[in-house]
Amino acid sequence: MWQAIQARETGRTPCNSFANQLKSRRISSLQLSNRKDFVSPHRGAVNSLQVDLTEGRYLLSGASDGSAAVFDTQRATDSEASGLIEKHKCVFSVDKGHEHGHRFAVSSAVWYPIDTGLFVTGSFDHLIKVWDTNTAQAVVDFKMPGKVYRTAMSSLAMSHTLIAAGTEDVQVRLCDIASGAFSHTLSGHRDGVMSVEWSTSSEWVLYTGGCDGAIRFWDIRRAGCFRVLDQSVTQLGVRPPILKHSAVSTKVSAEKSSSGAKNRLKTLQSKHTGSQNMKGSSSARPSVEKARQKRLHPGMLSTLDRATAHYGVVTGLKATNDGMYLLSAGSDSRIRLWDTQSGCNTLLNFETGRLQTSKAIQMATSDDPALVFVPCMKTVKAFGMWSGRTTLMFRGHYESVNTCCFNSTDQELYTSGADRQILVWSPGGSVEGEMDQDEEAAEDKDNWSD
Amino acid sequence: MKNITNPETSVAAAGGKKRRREEEEEVGGSHAANEDECFSLRIGFCGYEEDELTFSDTSVALRMMRAQFPRIDQASVPPFILQSQLYSSLNDRTQVDRELERLRRDKVVRVFKLNTGQDDHAIIFLDDYLYQVDRIAKRMEENKQSDTDIFKWFKEHVLDSKLEPSIAHHELCSLLALGGKVKDAHITLLINAGLLTRQLIDPDMYWFAIPSIGKLWKALLQGRKELLSLLKRKRHKEMFLAELEKRRLRYSPLDMRFHIRDLIGSGHLKTFQTTSGLVVRVSND
Repeated sequence: MWQAIQARETGRTPCNSFANQLKSRRISSLQLSNRKDFVSPHRGAVNSLQVDLTEGRYLLSGASDGSAAVFDTQRATDSEASGLIEKHKCVFSVDKGHEHGHRFAVSSAVWYPIDTGLFVTGSFDHLIKVWDTNTAQAVVDFKMPGKVYRTAMSSLAMSHTLIAAGTEDVQVRLCDIASGAFSHTLSGHRDGVMSVEWSTSSEWVLYTGGCDGAIRFWDIRRAGCFRVLDQSVTQLGVRPPILKHSAVSTKVSAEKSSSGAKNRLKTLQSKHTGSQNMKGSSSARPSVEKARQKRLHPGMLSTLDRATAHYGVVTGLKATNDGMYLLSAGSDSRIRLWDTQSGCNTLLNFETGRLQTSKAIQMATSDDPALVFVPCMKTVKAFGMWSGRTTLMFRGHYESVNTCCFNSTDQELYTSGADRQILVWSPGGSVEGEMDQDEEAAEDKDNWSD
Repeated sequence: MKNITNPETSVAAAGGKKRRREEEEEVGGSHAANEDECFSLRIGFCGYEEDELTFSDTSVALRMMRAQFPRIDQASVPPFILQSQLYSSLNDRTQVDRELERLRRDKVVRVFKLNTGQDDHAIIFLDDYLYQVDRIAKRMEENKQSDTDIFKWFKEHVLDSKLEPSIAHHELCSLLALGGKVKDAHITLLINAGLLTRQLIDPDMYWFAIPSIGKLWKALLQGRKELLSLLKRKRHKEMFLAELEKRRLRYSPLDMRFHIRDLIGSGHLKTFQTTSGLVVRVSND
């Protein structure tokens, strides 16, 4: 440790790589924290966790008993065992007893991305409420046509404050906080939409995953989705080889440059049928289809595309922080990694056993040792993003785990599940721990994790 | 690699029968590592101590497992390999997926989705499948007089260009139309022959199917259930692999090793090394 610091002082190790090495060492030693504990006020399964994006300090959770709570992750409210274990009680919580509270389960609670003054909760009582954090009052209500499965707000948004809502209705609605109305309705899915996620590289792009197994990419500046992910369109490796890539890009550019519906139809059909046959799809086929298709608005052509990304419901979506890849979890117990630029399945096989099929799950990613944290039934597994192998396994929950949230500033993992607990997994053996070892006579001998 | 020749010659000699093979070195479990190192195959058989299969290459694994497919004479099914069996026999699953994709694109194998409700895919060598299609065409020709060109069109146009396990209705019609005039009765004929089916996922899609798979499909499901219940009834839900292999399944003509590999690959069972050999345990993840 001291050698590493000395190497940084003398300039042998650049500062960034020193920080990254430290972070990856901490992440690889993640275990159930024996220093920190959240006292969960929830009386139902905790469905959603999010750490705020501005400070990385406040944790927002939403549970099945209709309550949402905020915790301070850095300052403990009180401590036990002579100061060794910090207990974090919630800063406040809004539940069914609250006059504006939700009546049924809260499926999703997200912070307003600009600051922590507002947060948004979506619930099975068909309402999306926007809350003021300081006064704990609901300021705006949006009534949805069905149960709200997930809400999302773009962390990059500079010009819009839209809440994307995925409900059991086939249409995805975008709600505008500024005006209090729905600004967009995105049609294309054939069944309810269980997961929505904004892109981390563009403030206009939204990814949605539906109960029909399809993942669609929407650009909210134009009509219709511009891509439907198909699990049989694959690329072997991180980027497709140049030859095949140019064939794909000519099709994509042909689609973009043409404005007429006819051309769109031809390229859509050829992309759909000739995805494996990269060299020259026959022109006889599209003319047969042209005669059969009704005239549709160019934006609605994507409803004809029935490609599926999973053989079941898409239960979770997570975009990587660099915006280049998208992870999707499905109820066929598969996790797939997609390249967002080419829309291809990178064929990475994550060794998941079984995943939850009926409920949405929330995955987390970490950048430096590129890891994906996935809740797999009662355990949380961390997979290497480019190898697909299990690197860490976290067992601690008594029932199935629903969400994982990774706090990259502290390298802590927060998980929650049907056992109503929010567990903290922190790096074991901190630097302060090493230095203070001789000071603490009464060392905490309990070892919570195996 | 010198050890490859050993299994290949025995594959040629085996002709589908199981054979005992010579051991050369220890295989250290599925963490054996490297494709560059020499590997050896100690293929367990009745009475053998350890049963460990780690192949270096997907195509080698596929050929091995095809050779070990049990010969059931009543059902005329081409030998198929489940994708979960491939996962249990090779270290790196991503590599398996990619090599399988490459083999599929090169038209060496074909992948079919089985209608078991779980994510099961069967891999069949293209030659075996085409032979099966020809047999069906011939049988249909003996029974019915007309409309057997459909099988020829199917083989030439559809199988050649559509490499995925499913096909949409309008696409099927358009591809068959390249051969001649296609009617709905033709598609019914294909479904009756067992080459196409529909699954509950999408009413508009046809899925390619392995002809006369029914008996083996049922055997697969029942065998899995029986093997899992056998292990669950034990006190500690585990058993030595050698002992497990000696037992025979009542409800499945497919052999025990087939089912063990399949369940290990899909994550229901896991193996670990003990001082007296490999133990198979029901995984509770």
